[in-house]
Amino acid sequence: MQDVFQGAQAMFIIGSNTTEQHPVFGTMLRRAVKNRNVKLIVADPRKIDMVDFACLHLQQKPGTDIALLNGLMYLILENGWHDQVFIESRTEDFDEFKIVVKQYPPEKVSKITGIPVKQLYQAAEIMGTIKPMAIIWAMGITQHIVGVRNVMTLANLQMLTGNMGIPGGGVNPLRGQNNVQGACDMGGLPNVYPAYQSVTNEEARRKFESAWGASLDNKVGLTATEMIPGILEDKIHALYILGEDPAMSDPDSAHVRHCLEKVDFLVLQELFPSETSRYADVLLPGVSFAEKDGTFTNTERRVQKLNKVIEPLGEAKPDWEIIKELAMRLLSRQILTPDSPYAGWDYENTEEIMVEINSLTPSYAGITYARLQNGEGLQWPCPNTDHPGTRILHIGKFARGVGKFAPIDHIPPAESPDDEYPWVMSTGRVLYHWHGGQMTRRSEGIMKVYGSALIEVNPDDANRLGLNGKQFVRVTSRRGSIQAEALITDRVPPGMVYANFHFPEASANELTQAVLDPIAKIPEYKVTAVKVEIV
Amino acid sequence: MTINITFNGKAIQVEPGQTILQVARQNEVNIPTLCYHKDLSPTGNCRMCVVEVKNWRFLQAACVTQVTDGMEIETHNEKVTKSRKLSLQLMLANHPQDCLTCEASGECELQDLAYEYKIEAPGWGTKGTRYTVDSDPNPFIRVDMNRCILCRRCVQACAEIQVRNVWGVARRGIDEQIVAGADTTMLEAHCESCGQCVAYCPTGALSNKMSYGKGRRHQIKKVPTICTYCGVGCQFDFNVKNGRIIGVSSNPNSPVNGMALCVKGRYGWDFIYHPDRLKKPMVRQYLLDGKTKPTHYDPKCPDWGWVETDWEKALDITAKKLGQTIDSHGPNSVGVFTSAKCTNEENYLMNKFSRQVIGTNNIDHCARL
Amino acid sequence: MTNKTTRFKPIPQEILEKSVELSNSPEVLLELLSNLQALPESLSRDNITYAARLLNIPAHHAYGVTTFYSMLSTETRKNTLRICDGPVCWIKRASAEEKHTKNVVDLISDTVPSEWTVERSSCLGLCDRAPAILVNDDQAGPISIGETKNACQGWKGVPTDYSIPRPNEKRVMLANTDQIDPNDIHSAIKFGGYLGLQTALQLTPEEVIAIIEASGLQGRGGAGFPVGRKWKFVSQAQIFPKYIIANADESEPLIFKDRVLIDSNPHQLLEGMAIGGYACGASEAYIYIRGEYVSQAQRLKLAIKQAGELGWLGDNIQGSGFSFHIHVHLGAGAYICGEETALIESLEGKRGEPRLRPPYPPTFGFRGHPTAVNNVESFAAVPHIMKNGSDWWKSLSTYSVPGTKLYMILGHVRKPGIFEAPFGLTLRQIIDDYGGGLQDGSSFHFALTGGAAGTMVNSSMLDIPLDYSSSQKGIGLGAGAFLICDNRVSSVAFLRELLHFFAAESCGKCTPCRVGTWRAYNLLCQMADNEITEPDIDELKALSENMLLTSFCGLGQSVPISINSALANFASEFSASRKRD
Repeated sequence: MQDVFQGAQAMFIIGSNTTEQHPVFGTMLRRAVKNRNVKLIVADPRKIDMVDFACLHLQQKPGTDIALLNGLMYLILENGWHDQVFIESRTEDFDEFKIVVKQYPPEKVSKITGIPVKQLYQAAEIMGTIKPMAIIWAMGITQHIVGVRNVMTLANLQMLTGNMGIPGGGVNPLRGQNNVQGACDMGGLPNVYPAYQSVTNEEARRKFESAWGASLDNKVGLTATEMIPGILEDKIHALYILGEDPAMSDPDSAHVRHCLEKVDFLVLQELFPSETSRYADVLLPGVSFAEKDGTFTNTERRVQKLNKVIEPLGEAKPDWEIIKELAMRLLSRQILTPDSPYAGWDYENTEEIMVEINSLTPSYAGITYARLQNGEGLQWPCPNTDHPGTRILHIGKFARGVGKFAPIDHIPPAESPDDEYPWVMSTGRVLYHWHGGQMTRRSEGIMKVYGSALIEVNPDDANRLGLNGKQFVRVTSRRGSIQAEALITDRVPPGMVYANFHFPEASANELTQAVLDPIAKIPEYKVTAVKVEIV
Repeated sequence: MTINITFNGKAIQVEPGQTILQVARQNEVNIPTLCYHKDLSPTGNCRMCVVEVKNWRFLQAACVTQVTDGMEIETHNEKVTKSRKLSLQLMLANHPQDCLTCEASGECELQDLAYEYKIEAPGWGTKGTRYTVDSDPNPFIRVDMNRCILCRRCVQACAEIQVRNVWGVARRGIDEQIVAGADTTMLEAHCESCGQCVAYCPTGALSNKMSYGKGRRHQIKKVPTICTYCGVGCQFDFNVKNGRIIGVSSNPNSPVNGMALCVKGRYGWDFIYHPDRLKKPMVRQYLLDGKTKPTHYDPKCPDWGWVETDWEKALDITAKKLGQTIDSHGPNSVGVFTSAKCTNEENYLMNKFSRQVIGTNNIDHCARL
Repeated sequence: MTNKTTRFKPIPQEILEKSVELSNSPEVLLELLSNLQALPESLSRDNITYAARLLNIPAHHAYGVTTFYSMLSTETRKNTLRICDGPVCWIKRASAEEKHTKNVVDLISDTVPSEWTVERSSCLGLCDRAPAILVNDDQAGPISIGETKNACQGWKGVPTDYSIPRPNEKRVMLANTDQIDPNDIHSAIKFGGYLGLQTALQLTPEEVIAIIEASGLQGRGGAGFPVGRKWKFVSQAQIFPKYIIANADESEPLIFKDRVLIDSNPHQLLEGMAIGGYACGASEAYIYIRGEYVSQAQRLKLAIKQAGELGWLGDNIQGSGFSFHIHVHLGAGAYICGEETALIESLEGKRGEPRLRPPYPPTFGFRGHPTAVNNVESFAAVPHIMKNGSDWWKSLSTYSVPGTKLYMILGHVRKPGIFEAPFGLTLRQIIDDYGGGLQDGSSFHFALTGGAAGTMVNSSMLDIPLDYSSSQKGIGLGAGAFLICDNRVSSVAFLRELLHFFAAESCGKCTPCRVGTWRAYNLLCQMADNEITEPDIDELKALSENMLLTSFCGLGQSVPISINSALANFASEFSASRKRD
């Protein structure tokens, strides 16, 4: 993040409402624009706050990112702004990629995306001629049925312009949750062990089998968005949920609730009684971040030390202790290989867990509590205790050797507006709230500033609907209906509404659909066909 | 290349292009400042940092004056000290004498300087009766412009750190005043309630409403921590008094964010003490009764009732039920949701729990949402 | 969205109409705000916010500017009378027996129709028409308190006539004012207008600067910085474009020479600026003129138009390839904008607060570019030097400082007004040879020389020759103004009036000036009305010293000049033994 803040000469923000989702990084970008005169291009269907700081706003129709990006790359190629040296020395499959991009002349792209041809030229010129350029993206890119394809297309753009592996360049995903990076790093995924060691890789599995002293399953597990419907398919009979609220945050909430009702046994470890807790059989009181030790890994892979500030409230316990207690009880059912170094669960503190992580997670091998205590943090890969950490990935060489251009075509969103549902709804968060709102809805001051759900409606649409500013609207999709106060704002273009999922009484996820990206299994939150009525 | 200067009578060599203040701080000479802050561009407004440069007609503000070759600088001679004392007196004349109840007492830079230079407020002046106390309805930030010394650090913090430009300077001369927007409320002036202005205010003019009356600097312990909200990884200090969190303050050494925080990080922590917090393990009545789970969810049915229990019982029941599920449907009938809000250590344990203890790869979290 | 309270509000049509002829650059803010002030809601918070949105600046910026300038008001007003509170008008009103039984503003309010808002104003620059007032945009005077109601109906008083030179005058810039029609470029050309520019265009810029340097022309704002040297700095800077600015913010009490120069022959200012532009390599120029000089601004705009039509301004002047465009920018009431960096800030659409220096305007000025800021009188002298050569300029005087300058003589003399003469005059000569001597029955008590930020001198300094360095001897020349006061004027009360001015005009940026001027004024109010105590004197001295040593800019640094000279020269009047007047 520092390298983008200090080094980028141009920035392209696509699918990231940075100043509301990652506010402090957002202010760093604002500072870069203001103090260093960095050229900022924002591509977003909404006139988000960052647009005020941009030299160009590409207001594409939701779900047309690939067409937009291919169109920009078409112009970069046409003008010879691509980085031939980088392409030749560090990438492969350029020719196949070029054939696809050639299918996206500006006029066609303008028709698909709704962006004027002139703006495409302006954007391509900035991207093609100013270096380094950083791409900053978040859920606006991934929460589509083409999420993975979107990401690959961004990588294509950065390889084309030679902006990979240089300070101030790169594709910079902004991770949503504070430790989503760490959760992935630590093997909180159905296909990999810690440090992305594949469960289907024989060698990796053996490594963990011998470390943990147990035989491990060699098949990829189910994703969260598969497990819940899996209940109805008789695949899942019990769920152990740690600090998540699928009834709020997953798409098509009505269906999620229906599934959760049917599970045989649900144990939920939480801070608060959440929407999901209605379906739980056992509630285990975990603690907040202030009541425990540990480490978090931020979006730039920086591992930082979390310190226990206060004692756990009531009888609540730090989550690691609860997991440990539960494991100890179930472990007796297993026969473990003796002499396995990490078969046991007798951790006295979190530092002992980190020692185990160090030995099994190559990228975290050098990240010890002793080194983190000074507050600096270390960015992985950090393979040994003398290693200073890694600020920028892919310098000089991609992780896989050479970068691979992927030829990618535009695919329209799964659900397009029609006569019955003529509007497009997009979803996201607002500055004042967080995700399902379990924490922020319990903050007194925040509720004073933003105490109820709002649905953003364009002033022209508001006029057509006869909204006068302080009225409620009903938004309905094929899956459900919500009501909330309309916020009339030119942030959304005509024909689009924007809703959040912070308030259970009007959560956008009542309306969203559970269609997933085929690879990453991410739901398409950003495009839902809806109708809007005045209440 | 270095240049030679005489600093308080001592000949020293320094790098050119530095200000007198920077040189002083390197040489551990304490020149007092109020409007200066290292994160903000220097303005030279308050005139506390004036020093004498030999053969220069006027005293020079150390924060904005660069050293040049041959300069002879006196930072604490009688002329300089006298001037600082008078400038302090001029500020105190219009500053309320309400340190007794001021939130900033103990970390107020004006108070510290008045103490160091032994300045009493003069008999004349408005004594801070000009503006409404607590004049802004912002739920987080307490505004008392009577205490303002017009250093403008808030204006700069809002413009240079947050880049939101809420605060500005209005009117002129003795009537000069800091205002939000066109003299509106902060929120009307597009405030994002990040509290940067509070963090940079040297006095109690801007303070935190949530911690008002809860604890002073000498009563609290600062514990560094990492924000629980987004993935940026901001660090800050929790202010703890008697084992209870009373507020958040910026930690200038934070590697990612420096002094900057957002509204959630700085002010969205009180959920920790919300009465809804689960403080005891709870299980459904039917589990205690050893019954089977009712087929339909019905909050009125006594079997569904929540019963508070102790950890032993709750964990035993959970372990038993999970064990039974594995026994009857196999390990892959269990699903584990780990959490992107929990620590690396906890996520590691969840991964180990599902793979080693349960025997399934059905583990995921909300990364996709 | 920053928060829920910031709702979508389209900008009203009437606001858009007021901005239609302006660009959307923040630099037009002052003009836009002045336009909006004419709307029924005037400069309401909403309207200020709309202005900010139109120019894409923060609302606080527009509000800060609105409240900074005294001619902009957030209150609705139909007609405005601005009563000059400058020292000359104060003396006039005081000596006309309209003494402070009641505040002058209140006195006048009682006599005029209720739709007129009456307010105090710092010196209006109409000292030769004292007591003066500004009737909306119209200058009026002399007008007594009793006559003010007539002013509301169009009576403007009688302006001073300078067509006939005084005995002993040596006129260069004021030459031929009896025959030049300021509204007709042809009459100016008839008397040699634009010959200086023509001469300059046949030389190289370096040669032009060399001539100005050789002439020894010193800046006429008061500091006397050599004009040629300043231009050299600008011409040598390697950042483009560069700018020329004429400082016509003439807001210092006692000073009105720029107004007279513009009113008698605006073209010599334009010509001087064009020569400066050619010398410095600048093609864009601004005249920053104080907001109270609306008619002079109009006169300049007309002159610029006429000069453009005849090819003496605009693109490719007289086929030389040199282009020069002059814009007139009206201030809105702020003395501090006479300080050149504050002037530049104001020109950029900001509060007129001085900048940190260095860097100085010749390297970092308007828009961050090299800028030559010169006084109107300095520019007015330039065409004559170009036309006649530096030797001629030197030959105008036998004194060590070459050339002539304008002097303003005011107060208790027989013939107050303006005149032109060489340097080196003594105060006695100014009073007797040019001012017609003291009024009958008057005896010399003190003089304020230079301007408000000048020296208060007693009769011991009557014979010191005056130039930009004579302030070291205790008597300043400043911008060339001399207010002569007889025994009817109390030195303590007079100093109070000066401090009232400084306190009203302090920008508020730095502590010693913001609070110091205000405290010194309050102290002097006490001292003028009550007995003077030793601690009062000590405190005044301490405040004065602190302002001098630590103020951010020249305003605060020069306040002590008048205080210190008064304390030194009138010690007996500023003493604890003094009895109340």
